[in-house]
Amino acid sequence: MVKEKREKKKWIYRGVKTKMEPYFYILPVMVLLVLMFGYPLIKSVIMAFQNYKLSNINNVYFNDLANFKKMFGDQNFLLLLKNSVVYVIVAVLGQFLLGMILALALKQKFRGRGLYQSIVFLPWAFSTFVVGLLFRWSFNGEYGVVNDLLMKIGVIDKGIAWLGTPGLSLVVIILAMIWMGIPFFGIMVLAALQSIPEEVYEAAEMDGCGIIKKFFFLTLPYIKPTIIITVLLRTIWIFNSFDLVVIVTGGGPANYSQTLPSYMYTKAFSGYDFGLAGAFGLLLMVILGIYAVVFLKISNYDKAGDF
Amino acid sequence: MKRKGLATMLAVMMVGLTAVGCGKGNASQGQANATGGKEEVKTLRFLDVTPSEKRQTYYEGIFDKFEAETGIAVTYESVPWDDAANKITVLGSSNQLPDVMTTWSGWLGQYTQAGWVIPLDDYIADSRDEYTEAVNKLLWKSEEDRYGHVYTIPDGLMVKGIFVRKDWCEEAGITLDPTKDWTYDDYFDLVKKLTDASKKHYGAAYRGARGALDPLLVYMQGYTGGNTYDQSGKILINSEDCLNAFVKWTDVYKNGYAPEDAINWGFTEMVDNFTGGLVGTLINDSEVAATCQANMSDDQWMVMPMPKSTADGKLYNTINAPYAYSISGSSKNPDEAWKLIEFLSRPENNIEYCKLTGEIPIKKDVENDETYGLSGPYATFARQLNDPDLAVPTTFGPFDYTDLHQGMFHEEIQNYLLGNVDARTALDNITSELQRRMDMYLQDNPDSVIESALKLK
Repeated sequence: MVKEKREKKKWIYRGVKTKMEPYFYILPVMVLLVLMFGYPLIKSVIMAFQNYKLSNINNVYFNDLANFKKMFGDQNFLLLLKNSVVYVIVAVLGQFLLGMILALALKQKFRGRGLYQSIVFLPWAFSTFVVGLLFRWSFNGEYGVVNDLLMKIGVIDKGIAWLGTPGLSLVVIILAMIWMGIPFFGIMVLAALQSIPEEVYEAAEMDGCGIIKKFFFLTLPYIKPTIIITVLLRTIWIFNSFDLVVIVTGGGPANYSQTLPSYMYTKAFSGYDFGLAGAFGLLLMVILGIYAVVFLKISNYDKAGDF
Repeated sequence: MKRKGLATMLAVMMVGLTAVGCGKGNASQGQANATGGKEEVKTLRFLDVTPSEKRQTYYEGIFDKFEAETGIAVTYESVPWDDAANKITVLGSSNQLPDVMTTWSGWLGQYTQAGWVIPLDDYIADSRDEYTEAVNKLLWKSEEDRYGHVYTIPDGLMVKGIFVRKDWCEEAGITLDPTKDWTYDDYFDLVKKLTDASKKHYGAAYRGARGALDPLLVYMQGYTGGNTYDQSGKILINSEDCLNAFVKWTDVYKNGYAPEDAINWGFTEMVDNFTGGLVGTLINDSEVAATCQANMSDDQWMVMPMPKSTADGKLYNTINAPYAYSISGSSKNPDEAWKLIEFLSRPENNIEYCKLTGEIPIKKDVENDETYGLSGPYATFARQLNDPDLAVPTTFGPFDYTDLHQGMFHEEIQNYLLGNVDARTALDNITSELQRRMDMYLQDNPDSVIESALKLK
């Protein structure tokens, strides 16, 4: 009887052990995730409802929705929102279209393709800091190479203060972001293009399909899952990024090139108002969360790639 | 069994190593070790907020000398200037500040409020006379007025001047005499004459980004007796005279005497474009003299004093010790930390430091050194410090204005420069916010004395 009981216990233990085993394997990663992402995330949400200023750390208290009132009441809020939307839409579209063209070009075999491929993918390997400096100097109003070229080909007759003019300063940041991100789309779309079976194109040709029809009715549906996921990821990354803004213009002049994340960064690390920065962070999370759900729904991601 | 034993042994070793590690960490954090029943400090921590190879070499050398004399070792730590305020704030919040740290005067409002620095009045009581008039009557007086105590020992004195392209002036037939007084109108006239956009010559290194209001405030204070508020706490820099000063100052940019990109310029861009030959004048601290010496020939640059006020004839100039020494509230060994500061402030050590950083020494004994004499490269700065009309204007207020300094101040001016608002609106927006904060401060501190400009004589 005792032996039977012991056997049963052992069996239960084994069952539990087998069931739990996978969780033990992922435990270290889970602990790291909770520590590195979970805690800061929860902390920033809590801070969004607190008067949390590093300059007055002994006076931290919950202040209800005061940070959100301050955020929505900020005279720059609409400008920041507009800048962020323009920045993301133009940059993602630019990267996507040029990345797609690059991928289609690289799909064809030609002499020196390997070398060309290495060169055009280079911007993705540069750090944002280097890219920022590169564009800051290229668009310098007095010494910049862009003004020099435009004057030499007769497009302008005097230098433009790209970084000091409202509107244009954001254009420089968008151009830098497009330049940096083209290779990412290029690599991803090229990989998807190369996975399309050649027979499909041969069959289409036999049916008399032209190049445009083949692109829209074969190529695009095949690479749709890749397009959806890359557009989604890049949108989130670009919307979140603040480094280029900080390096190229610092958000100036008068916040005309400032975006929501770069403004949040300024509030946190220049003004030390982590409560207000937390409110901006929470707003960004909500915007991106809604965007991801809506985008995946509209694009029919679940059904993409089904033939 | 064998495995269990091994695991136990490893665990014991880990605990042991951790304990040893902690012990060592504590010692290096300035903790006292008991030796023969007497507390003896082994190591102090020192934080430099503007590191460079030269500074590190200087400090490490001087710390070796200090250790040889006192037996106290000093660990040199550093943080780049751009991250310094953040790092100190984080260290202060977690009570991890080093024993001695270099501190910018603009941070003192926050640090004294938070208790991150301790008063030094008792330490300096016996040696105040050794320090120059400027240190006693201007810097320390200002700290006493604002915070009630002396919290820092200057590393050197930084005073502003106007750096001018001597070669451009010669080319334009302009003669400047740095020993003679001049006014802001003379300065604006010079800026205009030096501008020739076709040659890529602009008259001024206009500061449009962070810090844009700093030099403008001093100019406006020329019409308010050097004060930002009157004795009842009412803001003064929104008067008609100050508005005219605001317009004249910003006209330098609006009239094209500075490059258009200058709307985004901060310290680095200003200095680079002066030494690089794009702009003809630069208002900045004496520390820039070292950069000019390194990048320009002697016949290319000179320094003019800050212009005097046409309203009262005073020479309003901000004088500060950029990286003054302070003892942190976290220090367990303030007496030993003071010994270190005293050692660094000895005339021979201070003069070595000042020659390295382009500052003016803090003690009377070194005032006659040839570098700082009337024919030396720092002559104009030294002369201003001895000018009987010298006055140090007040700051933006006794409250924390970091966020305004990092945002609103220059954003309002930029909005005016871009034509989004008129000058009166921009100035009113700034002064209303300052007034609001001042009122709140006075409500919380009803007994506080309003800071007023300090005058040498």
